[in-house]
Amino acid sequence: MLDSLPYELPELVTRAPLDVHRSTVLPEWVDWNGHMNVAFYVAAFDQASGAFMRNMGLGRRYVDGKLGMTFVLETHVTYDREVRGGAPLRFTTQLLARDAKKVHLFHEMFHDEQDYLAATNEVIVMNIDYATRRSAPWPAPVAERLEALWSAHKDLPRPLKAGRVMRLAKRQEPSSAAV
Amino acid sequence: MIELDLSAPFDQHRATVLPEWIDWNGHMNVGFYVVAFDKATDTLCAQFGCSWDYTKAEIGMTFVLEAHVTYDREVKEGDPLRITTQILDHDAKRLHFMHCMYHGTEGYLAATNELMLMNIDYESRRSAPWPEWAMDRIERLAAAHKRLPVPRQAGRLIGIRRK
Repeated sequence: MLDSLPYELPELVTRAPLDVHRSTVLPEWVDWNGHMNVAFYVAAFDQASGAFMRNMGLGRRYVDGKLGMTFVLETHVTYDREVRGGAPLRFTTQLLARDAKKVHLFHEMFHDEQDYLAATNEVIVMNIDYATRRSAPWPAPVAERLEALWSAHKDLPRPLKAGRVMRLAKRQEPSSAAV
Repeated sequence: MIELDLSAPFDQHRATVLPEWIDWNGHMNVGFYVVAFDKATDTLCAQFGCSWDYTKAEIGMTFVLEAHVTYDREVKEGDPLRITTQILDHDAKRLHFMHCMYHGTEGYLAATNELMLMNIDYESRRSAPWPEWAMDRIERLAAAHKRLPVPRQAGRLIGIRRK
């Protein structure tokens, strides 16, 4: 485990949920259906995971300093409502669990002006040692930050859309569609 | 419509990892795995006539309701990809299936993508039953895939296992 990081860490935000990330639907994210393509929801959520990691002290300098990286192991997205090119997006992030090497996050994406829920993303992110490209414990200052954030998030209610298993049995309709 | 391919799993889609799919970690970025998988979904939908022609002719569209990806191993720029598809379930409006992405020459599993897809009416942009001609083909594909074992990555719940 790294005992320290050789750069200054940003001030820790411990709001519950975190609400630091904003984005805009880029023209190249829109597909032939005239809305943001499924893959770019994941790209947009990945940026929200990046914002979470920067808050933990693991930004670009962590990779450029050849200290480590963070890899996504698994991701689950619910597509709740369409967003069009240029739409402003707001993200919230809840820490659902953490261990020595991984975090389990839950993001919600909202249309920032019309305020509707566009999508959710549950994701597992793992810390990776730069040299071996294998999993490694969080650097000590990051583990410390995770604990501080966990104290702030552990009593939040579990999101309704977390822990989903995909199946047809239960009816699923996007909220904008007729039932 | 193109000739129906009833091989199980469906094994037509091929791709190559493009330079713009690579991120600062030197491998394909999580979002672009889904770009690659989404193109494999187009290849599947072409089997039952619901790909680009379907939307271009303003008949309908297909929307993804839910997606689950497991990232099993890294792929790098220029790597050849082979994506296979297995239909797991379907109903009047929806299709539940799973893609497996393999390194095209080394053969290892790189990722899986479980998806729930819904048919959408072009005009109303709301859910609608699959057209009869599409449903006929979906039934035949589903029947061909029925004997396949359910992939172990299907129906996964995300979590950190307690030791």
